[in-house]
Amino acid sequence: MTVEKTEELIMNMGPQHPSMHGLFRMVVHVEGETITKIIPKMGYLHRGMEKLAESRTYSQFIPYTDRLDYLASPHNNWGYVQTVEKLMGVEVPERAEYLRVIFGELARIASHQVFIASTALDLAGWTLWSYAFRDRERILDMYEMTAGNRMTVNIMRIGGMLAEPPEEFWTALKSFLDDTPEMLEEYYGMFFGNEIAQGRLKNVGILTKELAENLSITGPVLRASGVDYDVRKAEPYSIYDRFDFKVPVLTGCDSYDRTIIRMDEIVESIKIIKQAIRDIPGGPIMAKVPKVIKPPVGEVYHRVENPKGELGFYIKSDGTTKPSRVRIRPATFINIQMLPIVAKGLKIQDIVAIFATLDAVLGEVDK
Amino acid sequence: MENNVLNRYVEELATRVNGEVEESFGVLILKVKAASVTETLKEAKNFPDAPCDFLHDLCGVDTTEHFEVVYQLASLHGPQRLRVKAMVDRENPVIDSVTPIWEGANFLEREAYDMFGIIFKGHPNLKRIYLWDDFEGYPMRKDYVTEPIEVRDVVRKRIEGE
Repeated sequence: MTVEKTEELIMNMGPQHPSMHGLFRMVVHVEGETITKIIPKMGYLHRGMEKLAESRTYSQFIPYTDRLDYLASPHNNWGYVQTVEKLMGVEVPERAEYLRVIFGELARIASHQVFIASTALDLAGWTLWSYAFRDRERILDMYEMTAGNRMTVNIMRIGGMLAEPPEEFWTALKSFLDDTPEMLEEYYGMFFGNEIAQGRLKNVGILTKELAENLSITGPVLRASGVDYDVRKAEPYSIYDRFDFKVPVLTGCDSYDRTIIRMDEIVESIKIIKQAIRDIPGGPIMAKVPKVIKPPVGEVYHRVENPKGELGFYIKSDGTTKPSRVRIRPATFINIQMLPIVAKGLKIQDIVAIFATLDAVLGEVDK
Repeated sequence: MENNVLNRYVEELATRVNGEVEESFGVLILKVKAASVTETLKEAKNFPDAPCDFLHDLCGVDTTEHFEVVYQLASLHGPQRLRVKAMVDRENPVIDSVTPIWEGANFLEREAYDMFGIIFKGHPNLKRIYLWDDFEGYPMRKDYVTEPIEVRDVVRKRIEGE
């Protein structure tokens, strides 16, 4: 007697699939509905940033970093300019550091709001998408007041900030912070508290602690697997050692915890911004930096806690005005590696849930 | 305190694998030959009191004399950090893969192969990751010509003509 077996089917998801958050493609091998193998394919958005950096001056590369994780562009600026400042030994004025923290944490909130919106959308929660985007609009308005841009803000400079925020920025910021707890309740009540949404997310895509450490996973994905690690605490950069905040850690290891941890992080970001507004001193926002930036010969590796994970920059200087090597350590590029491993044996619908909770941004994955 | 322990381990390791130790911005740098990279990293991962057990990043560097594969090691449970640099011959760029030690090196090694043409022996699936399979050359090498010379000449002529 022959055993009847379903024929293995090869299916392409992406690059133009709505749940792929950009131009990401995976080749999925399925038997019936069960996944047997996933092959991730990327590079549709590859712009060769590292190569471009070698023919640009240090300041000219700042706008390129905006295009990495374009949902949290101030954070990418921050990582890059801090690396160059470390290399040059530049002291940034106090006020600029506080402004950087405020914009960095606003970017974290904005990025997590997009995460909440897109996760809901991927799981067919259409309403929440528009609600979260409506709220994020207020942060983009604040960017626009200060920098003139909404998405790729290009707000930081080597040695400080681009501009002083105008008066209406502070009123907009305060009213935004007051409204945020209510927003979070709304998000939870509208979608993530829903039984169907929880059914799609709970116990799906289990990433154990050991596997996460072995796969070099960072950021909220790592912390949702029960590892208490945040660069802001472990190796405080800028002035993060002055603020009182918690690092949310959850132990569920599943897609649901990876979603909820982002909500908790928004709460902590609000705390940080409130403290920063309270303590911000007056003074200049730019350090005295030479017009032509020429760091001494040397190399430095610096990392910051991006909303998506750890963003690292490894810069090698040969003493000229252009860097000899700029290496970008993209967080989600490395985090994506878990997808083929944890999705094995699950159903096709679960790929969407797992990929959504990874919060991949293809600008960063493809560089 | 912690750093002293790490210092000692790294010095010991360096003499064993015939490497050099440097320091830059508070981080120890251990330079080794490509042949001893597996031994070095295995040992660094298991330093008794200061294990550098988290592979933070892996990248290629072209110094024009040779290639370097740079491993940024850290730990999720302590402050220790270490940078290991493996020298790879430019003519015959072959080095052992570290995927048996850290699974997370998979994509990173593929990227280094894609950009520099460094061949990682023992990698489960060493294919180009960003560029297409028929792409010729390795773009991050310093001797890679970024634009075809004919195109550049045409553009230059047009600018000069105006």
